[in-house]
Amino acid sequence: MWTKIKWGLRIVAVLFIGAFLHYTLPQRDIVHVINTYNKNTPIGGNWMFYAIEDTGTGVETTATIRDIRFIDAVFPDEETVVVYRNEDTGWFWPPYFKWDSSTLQAEAQNLKSDKANPEWVAITHYGWRMPIFSIFPNAVSIAPVAGPDVRLIPWINIIILSTMIFIGFMIRKMWLQFRERAVDPVLADAGEVWDNVDATADAARAKASGFFGRVGAWINTWRSPRR
Amino acid sequence: MGWLRLAFFGYIALTIIYFLTSIYSRSVRREKLEKAWDTDPAREGAPLAARQAFIDTGMAKYETGLKKRLLWLIYILPTIAFVATIYFVNWT
Repeated sequence: MWTKIKWGLRIVAVLFIGAFLHYTLPQRDIVHVINTYNKNTPIGGNWMFYAIEDTGTGVETTATIRDIRFIDAVFPDEETVVVYRNEDTGWFWPPYFKWDSSTLQAEAQNLKSDKANPEWVAITHYGWRMPIFSIFPNAVSIAPVAGPDVRLIPWINIIILSTMIFIGFMIRKMWLQFRERAVDPVLADAGEVWDNVDATADAARAKASGFFGRVGAWINTWRSPRR
Repeated sequence: MGWLRLAFFGYIALTIIYFLTSIYSRSVRREKLEKAWDTDPAREGAPLAARQAFIDTGMAKYETGLKKRLLWLIYILPTIAFVATIYFVNWT
């Protein structure tokens, strides 16, 4: 029962982190731009999926209706369409530090093309399109590409994900080192004392097992010794 | 003002990371010195004070060494990544 709950929580955590990364990390679509425009967009409960208010693209109007730039585009199959919003991201999250949405809009406008003469571009963006919540991926940059079939290697994502794996690995190593050097010796000492008091030894050991038990035992060593 | 807030909290976070990492790095070095002494057959039976002196010298060397200085990368690399992101997103 407990194992099932533990695995359930783990699976939820992995899914949550995966979704978070999928939303935040940049992706590139190869498309051709068919339209660019501004639209007064009401923002309510879905505010989380729009730029925070003080980034510059929001303060021009009120907090609930915002004048947002949009870019419409078509994928190479000439059927699937995609709508990007084009908003500054500001100083905090997601950390794209984008302030050039006006320039990006002009570039998109300049690369506009129709079905007869499609001009293929790679649009870097993050975010999801979810019609029920009225949320749109945010375009970050636009660059012409040779054709609809070019292969793009996601270097940025490779770098970010390897850095994250490295950091996770280091946190684990640091924790193990801390446990080996600071927590386990204390438990060993305590164990020797407890061995003399047979009745309490088992109970104390049981208390000092697991993550919090170890941490608690370590913290106890900072307390002044019992008189 | 956004950049000030980001810099302030960003460097606070990096300082915490810096201290945790430096504690870790020091601990690894100390363990290495201890093991070097304990596994050396020539030093078997040497007095405890000599062992302590050996470790203290090693740690003093570590404090001024290259590895300790490399920890400044904890501040430098995120700053570079930050500036590079701004440049590539807004000026290219």
